[in-house]
Amino acid sequence: MLKVDFVNMAIMVVNLLVLLIALRIFLFKPVQNIIAKRQEEADKQIREAQESKSEAEELKTKYEQTLTDAENEKKQVLSEARKTADAEYHKIIEDAQKTADQVKADACAEAEEQKAQIIRKAEKEIADMVVEAAVKVVGEKSGAKADDALYNKFLGKAGDEV
Amino acid sequence: MDDLAQRLMVELECETVFTIPVFGGIAISEAVVVTWIVMAVLILASILLTRNLKVDHISKRQAVAELIVTKLDGLVSGMMCEEGKIYVPYLITVLIYIGISNIIGLFGFKPPTKDLTVTVTLAVMSIVLVEAAGIYHNGVKKWLHKFIEPVAIVTPINILEVVTKPLSLCMRLFGNVLGAFVIMELIKMVVPYVLPAVFSMYFDLFDGLLQAYVFVFLTSLYLNEAIE
Repeated sequence: MLKVDFVNMAIMVVNLLVLLIALRIFLFKPVQNIIAKRQEEADKQIREAQESKSEAEELKTKYEQTLTDAENEKKQVLSEARKTADAEYHKIIEDAQKTADQVKADACAEAEEQKAQIIRKAEKEIADMVVEAAVKVVGEKSGAKADDALYNKFLGKAGDEV
Repeated sequence: MDDLAQRLMVELECETVFTIPVFGGIAISEAVVVTWIVMAVLILASILLTRNLKVDHISKRQAVAELIVTKLDGLVSGMMCEEGKIYVPYLITVLIYIGISNIIGLFGFKPPTKDLTVTVTLAVMSIVLVEAAGIYHNGVKKWLHKFIEPVAIVTPINILEVVTKPLSLCMRLFGNVLGAFVIMELIKMVVPYVLPAVFSMYFDLFDGLLQAYVFVFLTSLYLNEAIE
């Protein structure tokens, strides 16, 4: 029972070594290889996923940038348009104001002119009337005296000549 | 009682199954034959389990193979230091072999580990591996220096350890299997029904696997000690 057989020991050593090698070849290596391969594939997929994620992230930022740009541009265009419209509006108002002023000034000037003309006309008429009246007065009142003076003057002149 | 003792002795006797007629006849013991059977079963199972392995959409067969390998690898790797990882396949092999040898009694074979020759072989292989690893990883000088550590006075004990370590390994394994066998025979004699099955769960299955684990665990302990 308690004997140790050296021949069988040697056989057992060989047995165990053969078993070790066989298990390595048929069990450990293939399974570990396949697990390593799977790990590699999983790593690859994770890496790819991360790559696509960062790519998508990049695209997103890009699109957001584009959107912001478009928004800004829109704002700018709008504000420019508003500015132009404002300027146009002011210009039109100003022009209208100017035209109105001009029209008003012209009207005033014409009115003034007409007024002056009427006054002049009136003055002339008054003067004519005065002259007429004066002629009338002179003709009626001082006809004899004037005739006298004229007569005397004529005589004096005539006497000197003789 | 005498009858039982007689039967036990017969059971424990390492029979020579046959003799190879070379070199004056090589007597092949029963343990070696059972070991061959265990080896054949293990190798065949390995080949069957690892046929056309795939990376994805794995078959149940492959899942089982991967489970076995990863679990065993995790179990044994956890015991070893980083440098000692190269010894993991050997330790797993020993674990599988002792584990199956211990429970092969359930299938009607005589467990090889009940033969002292087998346990001595395993223990001697382990201690040779341990000392070889010590020399390989640290060099002869440091390996020799370890005998006078921590103080020179323990040198005889350290030298003695080279013998006591494998001795304890082989005797623990042999004693456990033998003890379990004797106790099971006694239980079978007292209560032939039901009860032996319950105790068999402990002595044959649990203790058998536990002893395989203990053997590998202690070997890995010695290996780590030798490597560091």
